[in-house]
Amino acid sequence: MSIEPPKTCTGSCASCPSLQDDLKKGRLALRAGIFQENPVFCQILGVCSALAVTSKVANAVVMGAAVTFTAILGNAMIAAMRNIIPRRIRLMVEVIVIAFFVIVFDQLLKAYWFDMSRELGPYVGLIITNCILMGRAEAYALQNRVLPSMMDGLGNGLGYSAVLLIVAVIRELSGSGTLLAGTPLAIILSAQPVSSGTPHLLRIPIDIAPAQLMIMAPGAFFTIGVLIYIFGAFRKQEAK
Amino acid sequence: MSLYIGSIVIFCGLLLALSVVLEIAARFFVDAGPFTIDVNNGERTLTAEGGSTLLNVLTDNKIFIPSACGGQATCGYCKVRLPDSSIADVLPTEKAFLNRQELANGTRLACQVKIRRPLSVRIPQHLLSVQQYRAKVISTVSVTHDIKELQFKLIDPPTMDYSYGHYIQVSIPDPQEGAISRAYSVSSPIDQKDVIELNVRLHPARGKIPAGKGSTYLHNLKVGDEVIITGPYGEFELDTDPKTELICVGGGAGMAPMKNLILSILEHIPKKPVWLFFGCRTRADVFYLDLYQKLSQKHPHFKVIYALSEKADDHWDGETGFIHLSVDKYLPDDLRAQQAFLCGPPPMIDAVTEVLLDKNMRPERIFYDKF
Amino acid sequence: MDSPAFWVILLAAIFTNNILLSNFLGMCSFLAVSKRVETAVGLGLAVVFVCTCTSALNWIIYYKLLNPETSWIGLDLRFLSFILFIAVIAAFVQFVEMVIEKVSQTLYLALGIFLPLITVNCAILGACLLLIIRQYDFVRSIAYGLGSGLGWMLAIVVIAGIRERLRFSHVPAALGQTGIVMIITGIMAMAFIGFAGMISL
Repeated sequence: MSIEPPKTCTGSCASCPSLQDDLKKGRLALRAGIFQENPVFCQILGVCSALAVTSKVANAVVMGAAVTFTAILGNAMIAAMRNIIPRRIRLMVEVIVIAFFVIVFDQLLKAYWFDMSRELGPYVGLIITNCILMGRAEAYALQNRVLPSMMDGLGNGLGYSAVLLIVAVIRELSGSGTLLAGTPLAIILSAQPVSSGTPHLLRIPIDIAPAQLMIMAPGAFFTIGVLIYIFGAFRKQEAK
Repeated sequence: MSLYIGSIVIFCGLLLALSVVLEIAARFFVDAGPFTIDVNNGERTLTAEGGSTLLNVLTDNKIFIPSACGGQATCGYCKVRLPDSSIADVLPTEKAFLNRQELANGTRLACQVKIRRPLSVRIPQHLLSVQQYRAKVISTVSVTHDIKELQFKLIDPPTMDYSYGHYIQVSIPDPQEGAISRAYSVSSPIDQKDVIELNVRLHPARGKIPAGKGSTYLHNLKVGDEVIITGPYGEFELDTDPKTELICVGGGAGMAPMKNLILSILEHIPKKPVWLFFGCRTRADVFYLDLYQKLSQKHPHFKVIYALSEKADDHWDGETGFIHLSVDKYLPDDLRAQQAFLCGPPPMIDAVTEVLLDKNMRPERIFYDKF
Repeated sequence: MDSPAFWVILLAAIFTNNILLSNFLGMCSFLAVSKRVETAVGLGLAVVFVCTCTSALNWIIYYKLLNPETSWIGLDLRFLSFILFIAVIAAFVQFVEMVIEKVSQTLYLALGIFLPLITVNCAILGACLLLIIRQYDFVRSIAYGLGSGLGWMLAIVVIAGIRERLRFSHVPAALGQTGIVMIITGIMAMAFIGFAGMISL
């Protein structure tokens, strides 16, 4: 997919700044980030955290939010600075910008939802090394304007969050028979009544024997492996 | 308050400390030279700081080896021979571009050789006469919807001695890598030593493939803009015997060297028979046809055939189909005495080469520029 | 309660709490490099070295500079830990690259090209962050760093060996490279769970 440059110029879109062009480009980037170039399935980036935090849907949602937050703002800042970053320290600057936003999110999380911060443990900090963010900064934000870069960050962040959500739903539901446990919106599948201390939204009286393996490490690997297979098979069908 | 100051102090302080340690380590561990580089057995002797690449050292000393990727080991143009180098020194990034013979005789990619000790380098002689030129755009004309004819007047030095089928490298400013260079064949005749003409096809972004950096830059130039050019480069040796027929086959953006060859030959060796076969997609992609047809009328030894590969409209009475079919149709079956110059997309070159070899042309007489 | 002993932490980090198979850290380079056993060993050794040393360095930085209770300065600068740890890891990797290139050309060709990859390897940063969370003292932190590195190396070498064999098997095309590696790693993780209870942290 490419955008035809307006008839009056013969250069690439980057030399014709206008809000319309920016939004159009941004929307393309957004769609691409979620579907064609989904960071986890297609580019195989950022799997570390995809595996680690998906034992609970609540954790996955917060992690997805963290990555999207950092991706949008990090891309924006790097795109804004792209013409003044000296070549040699380019990578260092990218890391610092990403680290900055991760620290902000981490501190906010510690302040407003300390339990979640403890559950996520080192994984929020590890967003800094998440290949998705560095990858997008290098591949997109360095060559494009602020608005399209932000939307590219949004697209990739949402694509990543979607994957996390799917994996987490599968794992939590089959592994502990709950959804969003730990939050007031929890849905619990249990024939026995839930203890009064646990906040929950809904209790569905189905008795399932949870497959503990799913919330342990192997469950995560298997889930992602099978999802890659399904996704890959879909893309092959599409390509035909 | 003290928290803010403290955090800034610690942050900057630690980064500073780390940089200092790295600097010291670099001084201590990395042998900084200076080292002597001997070029072509004493013809030139350079001194270089340790750590920089051989390509950079040569460029700094005004020896301009072809290079298109800016030292990323993706183009493979910057080959030089280091007679004292052993295969063990060759980096994995270079191995993709070197065949067994090259590995055996010490050929390396200059952009991957880091200067760590004195070196001895062998560079093809003609590269030593390559110079860097400042030039100014004096004309930009769109000859088709995506090909521009650009003319550059050389300012300093004011003339370039280039020969048949030669090319130059244009320095393209790039926000990420400083300056990169791209090679373009010269389309002006060899007598025109003060003005260099190029034919450049624009490569816009297509899906995942980004826009061509060189073509975008050149298409955006206006009259009066200054550029940096290095040249002349070229390995083509024209057989100047006026009895030897030259067969030029080009396609798409491969017109530039054709124009240079034909105009130069018609001027200097007017009796030499020349064929020009040129393949385009549609009528809109055809250019210079009138020029060549007029020349063909004046010079009976020069024959020109254009072929359109996509559906031609009713105004086209020339050949159709891919160009190698026309080559097959018009040329006799015995081409042992002829020479060929091909320029165009790789599939076209492969197809035409097969046709020529079938007609008994000697493989060493087929020269090509694959773009 | 006593903090676990040096050897307990070391062995636990290799087997029961393997940083890759239990904590999922270091997957990117794991997926990219594990196609041949030689390269896997090279990368693994590099990771072991860097992980051990940076664990020690980062422990010093955290407890002596950032943590208000134990540092030489009284300020609470713990929020700087992410960025300073990464800076130290990156600087250390560059330092090691220089030393190796000078000392041994063969070692450099085997190991040195992997070093830049390690800078963004989550396993190293992860190990540093985890040892802070678990509040290990200096010696035990080194045990943890060493153990994590060795555990990572063990995982990557085993997978490389399996993938070499896998070349001759018929893998469904849609699984591609990554899908099948994920499933195999899952089976490995299951196997390593068998070690649980052998050592309790």
